Amino acid sequence: MIWDTRNSTYTFTAQEFPILEKQNWLIHLHYIRKDYEACKAVIKEQLQETQGLCEYAIYVQALIFRLEGNIQESLELFQTCAVLSPQCADNLKQVARSLFLLGKHKAAIEVYNEAAKLNQTDWEICHNLGVCYIYLKQFKKAQEQLHNALHLNRHDLTYIMLGKIHLLEGDLDKAIEIYKKAVEFSPENTELLTTLGLLYLQLGIYQKAFEHLGNALTYDPTNYKAILAAGSMMQTHGDFDVALTKYRVVACAVPESPPLWNNIGMCFFGKKKYVAAISCLKRANYLAPFDWKILYNLGLVHLTMQQYASAFHFLSAAINFQPKMGELYMLLAVALTNLEDPENAKRAYAEAIRLDKCNPLVNLNYAVLLYNQGEKQGALAQYQEMEKKVHLLQDSSSLEFDAEMVDMAQKLGAALQVGEALVWTKPVKDTKSKHRTTSTSKAASLQQPLGSNQALGQAMSSAAAYGKLPSGAGGTSHLTKPPSLPLEPQPTVEAHPNEASAQIREK
Amino acid sequence: MAAASSSDSDCGRAESAQLFPSSPSNEASSKWLDAHYDPVANIHTFSSCLALADLHGDGEYKLVVGDLGPGGQHPRLKVLKGPTVLTESPLPALPAAAATFLMEQHEPRTPALALASGPCVYVYKNLRPYFKFSLPQLPPNPLEQDLWNQAKEDRIDPLTLKEMLEGIREKAEVPLSVQSLRFLQLELREMEAFVSQHKSKSIKRQTVITTMTTLKKNLADEDAVSCLVLGTENKELLVLDPEAFIILAKMSLPSVPVFLDVSGQFDVEFRLAAACRNGNIYILRRDSKRPKYCIELSAQPVGLVRVHKVLVVGSTQDSLHGFTHKGKKLWTVQMPAAILTMNLLEQHSRGLQAVMAGLANGEVRIYRDKTLLNVIRTPDAVTSLCFGRYGREDNTLIMTTRGGGLIIKILKRTAVFVEGGGEAGPPPAQALKLNVPRKTRLYVDQTLREREAGTAMHRTFQTDLYLLRLRTARAYVQALESSLNPVSVTAREPLKLHAVDWRDSDGYGTRKKTVCFSNCGQPGG
Repeated sequence: MIWDTRNSTYTFTAQEFPILEKQNWLIHLHYIRKDYEACKAVIKEQLQETQGLCEYAIYVQALIFRLEGNIQESLELFQTCAVLSPQCADNLKQVARSLFLLGKHKAAIEVYNEAAKLNQTDWEICHNLGVCYIYLKQFKKAQEQLHNALHLNRHDLTYIMLGKIHLLEGDLDKAIEIYKKAVEFSPENTELLTTLGLLYLQLGIYQKAFEHLGNALTYDPTNYKAILAAGSMMQTHGDFDVALTKYRVVACAVPESPPLWNNIGMCFFGKKKYVAAISCLKRANYLAPFDWKILYNLGLVHLTMQQYASAFHFLSAAINFQPKMGELYMLLAVALTNLEDPENAKRAYAEAIRLDKCNPLVNLNYAVLLYNQGEKQGALAQYQEMEKKVHLLQDSSSLEFDAEMVDMAQKLGAALQVGEALVWTKPVKDTKSKHRTTSTSKAASLQQPLGSNQALGQAMSSAAAYGKLPSGAGGTSHLTKPPSLPLEPQPTVEAHPNEASAQIREK
Repeated sequence: MAAASSSDSDCGRAESAQLFPSSPSNEASSKWLDAHYDPVANIHTFSSCLALADLHGDGEYKLVVGDLGPGGQHPRLKVLKGPTVLTESPLPALPAAAATFLMEQHEPRTPALALASGPCVYVYKNLRPYFKFSLPQLPPNPLEQDLWNQAKEDRIDPLTLKEMLEGIREKAEVPLSVQSLRFLQLELREMEAFVSQHKSKSIKRQTVITTMTTLKKNLADEDAVSCLVLGTENKELLVLDPEAFIILAKMSLPSVPVFLDVSGQFDVEFRLAAACRNGNIYILRRDSKRPKYCIELSAQPVGLVRVHKVLVVGSTQDSLHGFTHKGKKLWTVQMPAAILTMNLLEQHSRGLQAVMAGLANGEVRIYRDKTLLNVIRTPDAVTSLCFGRYGREDNTLIMTTRGGGLIIKILKRTAVFVEGGGEAGPPPAQALKLNVPRKTRLYVDQTLREREAGTAMHRTFQTDLYLLRLRTARAYVQALESSLNPVSVTAREPLKLHAVDWRDSDGYGTRKKTVCFSNCGQPGG
């Protein structure tokens, strides 16, 4: 029973000088539980008792200040800590971190370098140095530091930062390399998986993209970015219902996402529910009025709905935001053709051809218009231009062309050579009525009284129909095609980056 | 069902919590019996300060709580039997950890209770104070000692003493004592008095216990003699002999330990995992004075539990991570809310080991590896929990809440934890219908009208647009001619005139308003 005597002697000395670290454990436990109020109470008590000498209490107080957004105050407290124990790298690290958060990257680098002198094997110092250099745009140094950090200890965060540098430098391949290594190291990190998936998508390696996005979704079925990207891939394959089911999750989590409503709209478009499509796209447009892709899709759907006046407005708005895209001008031309303004339509086509050097569709549509206007020479020139582009595309890639486009091209070719409208009107009717949407079926019914004028109308509406093709891809979706056929010659390559970039910008 | 069969009358609030209309809670209520719920039990503690043991050797297991008291003001040792507090005694300082362990082989084999608090471990037997172990004093810095010795003999004046001590603080490996640190803070005029008052004392450095656990001495049996393992503020781990209370082994860590987990036997082979304040987990083995492996979390650990051979760590990033005993990452599970506390659930009868995690959203989740077995919803966030034999019931879950409440649940004997007992399959949001905006009759009519007269609309619109532009231009020219145009005050902020046309609801330009406004304050350039 030595208990009591010892206890009393202990309390006697304790009154003289309390142990500084007496309640550090309690401060820490409250801190990691995020119970900051209780934590602050203990810190206050502890600092009073020790007359401000308890370093850890100051340290945690500074951490809490920083979490609460009082970065300047946290910086001052960390500096106090650094004075209390100058040999501790941790304090310097926190000083640097606060400097970094205040945007003083150069000062942060200096302090980190000092901390690195005290502790050479800390990945965190190297990592944060790297991040500071990124903000200073010194990518070489940043890479060096991040690689150092990886060398000391591998962390997902370091991989992400390295990948970001490569993306900032525009080096997709290197970024993919880094993310591949990262996924190998940490196969369940959904952020890494999603980013890698999106990068593959951007490069058009769909199999791998889908694989990684799918993995991300298995680990986190509510991952916003992965769902959007995977959904858009499903849409290009025509799985609109599956994509819509996936989108429901996002619609619940992020109900105000413009790309989401754009994609949902294009799903409905693919399912031929045009009114729903327009509703969704208009919501997307409301949420992001300056996004030309949404305007593009709106124009497209309105073209399909034969609302050419509205289509014209949306397309011209899209052109205002994105004046460098040939397909937009082509769609505008189609709208103008239908609004009986061939002069402006021709100018739009000319602009489209000037901007778009490899899409044969532009030339074909233009040729049809010229032919219908009776300008056979011009039509022939455009036709030949189109053939050139087709050959070029065939040489460079094994893409198959849309059957309808080929069909139309053949008919136009025949018409141009023979010079008789009658020769190609008949087969047109057959192919048309099979799977044309509202716009064309109406035109087909008009075709009954044969004559050159009707034939012209026919050709025009078919041109309108073709107009849809690239955008189907460009926007988000496509209609009625089996998923195995890679249909669109050029747009496919361009369409998906749109998708991906839309997602990436969301970050 | 379980809510209805609950045996206690106090658990009204627990019942209502069980009736949440989601499937996991229904599932949970079928596995657990609500034995007791007291929202005002006034227990504020951590999982490390809870222990279950047969303290009197009568086969009736008691709950030992090292209670911090409300606001950490009145630390008490409480022993509960069933729902009632059996004994309650005040403690000299806040308890950091509580553990029960067998000290010797003699019959009756009643376990002793150890309570770590400040620099001491208080050992109780039969709930009576038995022994107090104090951490040994840390060796003072020899230079500092030397300086104070000189001061004692008045060979050094306070100012030089201060300078010298500051020099030591800047460089030395061994930190200064509290006495010296206090001295350094003093004003010049106070120094003399301070030195004369304290110079005769030997300088002391004392550290405190931050965490404690037990480690079997030489047998793996359930009721084998165990050593105490202490983690201290000066980054050391100590293993104490259970009988003599001498330090058997000392290991040092790079940071202050917060949570400990030990497996094996001290005399044979053991593995010690220590989660530290720098966010790292160090793994040590017998005969290793320094850590053998290191796990870097990049966040603070909030709990450390070993399930079979897997180390499960909860982090402040709201996730559970599984690691091998060599520190290789196995899996990660994301939690819906911050983790407050963690502990081991061990159901001996079925050989089940799982991790329980108390979350800030009032859930307690039970995981086996990364599969969710069960979710218990509680009326308040659970801040400490433990599972084991209580009273005469084998599988009892004891939880205390943030508000000081106590919840006791009993696992039904028929209950089997199966995978997918918690949430599985697609997220619930997937079943919700999409909120697609509806279109009105007016819209449909307008659409039809546009189809019929699209060209006319377009032309009207274009004509009107031209007219509008013309009118605007005319008005502008007129304003310029009659010198009515607004003039910018400074050259750096030129005025801009904008003409904007508003289309009305149908958007086809059938009706138009002209709005012309000037935009000032645009930065130049």
